[in-house]
Amino acid sequence: MMKLRLKALAATAMVPLLAGAVAAQDYGNFDGYTLRVKLIGGAQYEPLYATISDWEAATGATVEILSRKNHFELDREIKQDIAAGTLDWCVGSNHTSFAPQYGNIYVDLREHISEDVLSEFVQRVLDHSTVDGRLVQLPRHSDVSNFYYQKSLFEDPENQAAFEAEYGYPLAPPETWEQVADMAKFFADPPNFFGFQYVGKDEAVTGRFYEMLVAEGGQLFTEDWEPAFNSEAGVRALQFFVDLYEAGAVPVGVPNYLWDDTGLGFGSGTVAMNLDWAGWSAYFNDPANSQVAGDVGLIRAPMGSAGVRTGWSGSHSFSITETCDNKEAAASFVTFLTDHDRQMIEARTGLLPSRSEVWETAKAEFAEGGNDFLVEVFDTYAASMAEDAFTPPLIPEWIEVSNVLWPRLQAAIVGDQTAQEALDQAADEARIVMEDAGYL
Amino acid sequence: MTRFFRTRQAALTPLLLLSPAILTMLFVVAIPLVFSFYTSLTPYRLTRPETIETFIGFRNYVRLWEDAAFWAAFWRTILFLVIALNVEFLLGLGIALLINKITWGQRTLRTIMMFPMMFSPILVGFQFKFIFNDNIGIVNNALQSMGIIDFAIPWLVDARLAMFSIIFAEVWMSTSVFAILLLAGLFAMPRDPLEAAKVDGCNAWQTFRHITLPFIMPFAFIAMTIRSLDVARAYDIVQVMTDGGPAGRTELLWTLIARVGYENARMGQANAMAYVSTILSIAFTYFFFTKLVAARRYMGGAE
Repeated sequence: MMKLRLKALAATAMVPLLAGAVAAQDYGNFDGYTLRVKLIGGAQYEPLYATISDWEAATGATVEILSRKNHFELDREIKQDIAAGTLDWCVGSNHTSFAPQYGNIYVDLREHISEDVLSEFVQRVLDHSTVDGRLVQLPRHSDVSNFYYQKSLFEDPENQAAFEAEYGYPLAPPETWEQVADMAKFFADPPNFFGFQYVGKDEAVTGRFYEMLVAEGGQLFTEDWEPAFNSEAGVRALQFFVDLYEAGAVPVGVPNYLWDDTGLGFGSGTVAMNLDWAGWSAYFNDPANSQVAGDVGLIRAPMGSAGVRTGWSGSHSFSITETCDNKEAAASFVTFLTDHDRQMIEARTGLLPSRSEVWETAKAEFAEGGNDFLVEVFDTYAASMAEDAFTPPLIPEWIEVSNVLWPRLQAAIVGDQTAQEALDQAADEARIVMEDAGYL
Repeated sequence: MTRFFRTRQAALTPLLLLSPAILTMLFVVAIPLVFSFYTSLTPYRLTRPETIETFIGFRNYVRLWEDAAFWAAFWRTILFLVIALNVEFLLGLGIALLINKITWGQRTLRTIMMFPMMFSPILVGFQFKFIFNDNIGIVNNALQSMGIIDFAIPWLVDARLAMFSIIFAEVWMSTSVFAILLLAGLFAMPRDPLEAAKVDGCNAWQTFRHITLPFIMPFAFIAMTIRSLDVARAYDIVQVMTDGGPAGRTELLWTLIARVGYENARMGQANAMAYVSTILSIAFTYFFFTKLVAARRYMGGAE
């Protein structure tokens, strides 16, 4: 204990602010223990890891980072570990979309983390982190997409008059996706300027289609797990993407776009409107990187014809393996990485916290620093996280269903198939996946 | 009797001496091959290791036989291979001939030539993905700024252009394999036949066509064998640039196999695909080795 105090004292002397925060909570004493972890890597996630040394100083434990890869590579590695029976590590980064695939390799955190701590998290985010009634992951930060637009375009009197003359209603930030389609076509001037854009491949386009399907009143599966996305609502949802592509209102390369393409595209000033994650907000308003800095408007994601807003959501998280030899240390570590002060580090970069109190603290800090844009970002995203956010079905087959769906979505977008044909084929293929998995 | 044992011992000695090599081959090559073939006869899922014990015979192979997407990827991979190898060979030959002519700074140039190979294929994929981006990519912006086009070329969306873009990236990265091997061939070439040809009054084309080219063809076939195995396993660049899309237009065998094996976690089915795809590599290797033997025979070399 004396050793722990001395270490804590030393840490306090070196980094007074952080160590002060660490000392505020007792993370236990795991002197001499080495905690083996596999974490998601990437510029966006690294600042948090710089504070791991504070947990080591406070607990006497050492953290050995075995992997620091992007989520898809990490997913591959974890599946290999499951297959080879080499789950000899304790803590792994996880994600709500991936978590159901891993079966029971992760513990139910409710047995290892106190209710007092868990009650400080946003309830809806904890619900999204629960698979088969087990809290298999502790959310680190959450995400949902909202609607960015170039304000000056909407405030321009000439645009306002021309739009109203053509479409019969005033030009204003859109409330529905139908209005987005009108405005996208109105603003488009290819190849120099585009009204809108979307991601067009991998799980990204499946997610975008899925949230539009929900906004149109449809569903992916029936209650009996029969694929149901080839419904009228499904066709309407897919047709939204197809129409914009055919009209030239989106860049011709969108079927190949992922998040970096849409983010950089909106930042380049060549796109009027953009549905994107909170993590991009700081980039969009940074004059050093973005052509639209200072001109970025933000509203909640528009509604589909069912009166529901799009709100595909997911959370980055941490999980603890069942095979971990010191679950107490692992629980201490994940609690530390998701505590108030750690989440503030990520919130300052625009990532959405999973603890209720951090939303308020971050907003207060932004307001005090005169950063009205980030205050607006947090207000908008708080509303959508509370009211609009939903996850894909939390079943192990989500990624596999996505893999049969997205090539067909692309086929409709590029005109190889009609929306109905594409969705029918995808539904047939998804049915085989569900049959193989024993649902049907 | 003693003689019998001595003879037997003598017969066993080579086997004994070879045993470390045989054991190594067994553990490193044969056992993994047999094991992966066995998994292709099971519904093995990475996330459910117990599925490896369920034997389903050739069900995965029967499914493959009826899988149009797999065969489309199979034939597309052959096309990709044929185009990439030919372009790399022609460019590599050109570069090797030019560098062979240089008398000053040749070593520096040889090193510079190897630069593209030093990049990770993932980085090359990202680099070309942004170069060929339709909206903010450098190619379209340059063409539009120069007034050559007034529309955006869908480099990574159009079926032909997307394959072209991926082949371009592959060729950019790996042409130097051909160049360096062909250059080695040119360095090893004896001067006598060239001088004899000059004396006989052959022009430059005749000398190249009938002396230089046949001499370096064995080197070209070795490069082609190596590269055909490489290209048949093309994954990183394609995954980053298009991930086989849009709508499967650039799907190659290994983007499909990796998706089935890792993302879908169906390793049994992926292994069945991988086994069928090895037919391709075996066919190309056999073809190039046959050509190599023929080329050497033509040159009067040992078979």
